[in-house]
Amino acid sequence: MKNLIKTDGPFDLAAAFDASPNPYLLLTPDFTIAGVNQAYLDVTHSTREAIVGQPLFAAFDSGPGDEAPDNVRQVRASLERARDGRQRDHLAMVRFSIPRRDGNGGEVFEDRIWSATHTPILNEAGELTYILQHTSDITELHRLRESRSGSESGGDAIDSVLGGAVLLRAEQVQEDNQRLQDERNRLVDMFMQTPGFVAVLSGPDHVFQFYNEAYHRLIGYREIEGLTVVEAMPDVVEQGYIRLLDSVFETGKSVQGHASLFRTVRHPGGPVEDAYVDFIYQPIRDGEGKVIGVFVQGHDVTDAVEAGQRQKLMIDELNHRVKNTLATVQSIAMQTARSHTDPATFAEGFQARLMALSHTHDLLTRSYWEGAELRAILQHETEAHGAHRISVTGPAMPLEPATALSVGMIFHELATNAAKYGALSTPDGRVQVDWTIAREGAGRLDLTWREIGGPPVVPPARKGFGSRLIERNVRHDLAGSVELDYAGDGFVATFSIPLSREQGV
Amino acid sequence: MSQPIKGRRVLIVEDESLVAMLLETILEDMGCSPVGPAATVDDGLKIISDGEPLDAALLDVNVAGRQVFPVAQALKDRGVPFVFSTGYGEGGLPDEWRGQPTLQKPFTESAVRDALMKAMGVAQV
Repeated sequence: MKNLIKTDGPFDLAAAFDASPNPYLLLTPDFTIAGVNQAYLDVTHSTREAIVGQPLFAAFDSGPGDEAPDNVRQVRASLERARDGRQRDHLAMVRFSIPRRDGNGGEVFEDRIWSATHTPILNEAGELTYILQHTSDITELHRLRESRSGSESGGDAIDSVLGGAVLLRAEQVQEDNQRLQDERNRLVDMFMQTPGFVAVLSGPDHVFQFYNEAYHRLIGYREIEGLTVVEAMPDVVEQGYIRLLDSVFETGKSVQGHASLFRTVRHPGGPVEDAYVDFIYQPIRDGEGKVIGVFVQGHDVTDAVEAGQRQKLMIDELNHRVKNTLATVQSIAMQTARSHTDPATFAEGFQARLMALSHTHDLLTRSYWEGAELRAILQHETEAHGAHRISVTGPAMPLEPATALSVGMIFHELATNAAKYGALSTPDGRVQVDWTIAREGAGRLDLTWREIGGPPVVPPARKGFGSRLIERNVRHDLAGSVELDYAGDGFVATFSIPLSREQGV
Repeated sequence: MSQPIKGRRVLIVEDESLVAMLLETILEDMGCSPVGPAATVDDGLKIISDGEPLDAALLDVNVAGRQVFPVAQALKDRGVPFVFSTGYGEGGLPDEWRGQPTLQKPFTESAVRDALMKAMGVAQV
């Protein structure tokens, strides 16, 4: 582009540029002055040496007046529109003060009114290289028109001669533009801050032209500006969203989705995650009604969908547990009935087992069914027989719910048996419960229930429900082993329970 | 009345020993021989692959945190009829197993008998 200014080639564009009576300024994309012609230097009272290579708004800052920042903002906005939109932008009228030397070597600012056109200049690859500013000083024209409209002779004729009507229209257009620009900025602000996600896709390939914070968050803050949806998010191609966008673009009919699964990377560098979205794709039409893009908006409803799924799971799980518990109670009733011919003793035995089950439930409820401590379960099931008669030695051992329920039933049967026939049936008898945790493998709980000071032990004639329940529970539910030893000086039960087994809850 | 299924060997897959004991008692009362009970899906699969003679099976759907369907498939492949037992009800079964005789927990003796007969295609007397 330097050629434009300096070349002395066969067709001297630079000379033509410099000789033009129209003021021109050439800016880089970051608004640094790259070149300027003589007419521009004349109209701004500046020199090439003073301004070339300077940022535009350092070279020209519209002076110290109150309106200066707003004037600068208007020019900058027009330049940005030209640069970012790749389209010529007209600024029909803008005030912008220009410095000039006064007679004493000082600097004064002249209040001037300008009209400016900003034209983006693209290279062969379509990349923006420069922005050309063509500006006209319309101060005199403006003042003349204002002085005429103040007089009584009516200004139509002279206005038309002086271009006053044109100027008036220019002012109105500029005001309209400003109003539209403000409106657009307000809309953009609103879109940016709305909790829903918004994106504007342009053309048949759905190029991202605009998206808000919520949209950017939804897709894990990927860089997508100017990319097609396929380029920006190759991971969603298979999910059918591109097909829907195509259909909106082709048919002009909007498409909606509710709680639609959207699998994508939600955190930079993170894994693909499930999201659920409510969304609508609407066609964007040009002035002639032709579809030129798709307006995407919606809400991330992942939390609500997942909460609903969790709730359903919990209700199913609750139902499962209640029905299983009822089946367990049914079993206890039936088995207890078979070992009691007397209805009174049946009721007593059944209720005691029901209460044992209920106690463990209470413990589990306290921890929101996370689990229960072995020691707490033991205390719960034996305290009716006198806490001082049970000595307990062992480390903290949290048990998951299914294991806790089994262990609760086992301790209940052991305590009931001890109270009927064993150490707890005499005033001086007591029970020692010790356990250790073996660390080999995934771990193992070794527990001993030892009765001391009770009556001489007599092995039972036949296996009752109590001892069958203990054996079955340990073997079946806990995948462990148990030995019931009816030694003469006191009953001993020795348990070995692996801690690794997957337990149904 | 229990004649038609007397002597049948019935596999039990059920993770809760008390419920398994109840099923054993009910089966024994009907003159059947309980096999197992298996407390896990793997135990159930092992009993089947060991070639244990089986006439029918009662399968808890949720066994120690896993679904019992691999066992159901193995039984189906061997042509052994089976009944699901579940706290979820029939709605808890996936489509491919829907229509299979299902016991809802808790169950009565007659419900167990009826479901087994239905599964085995034995006419009720």
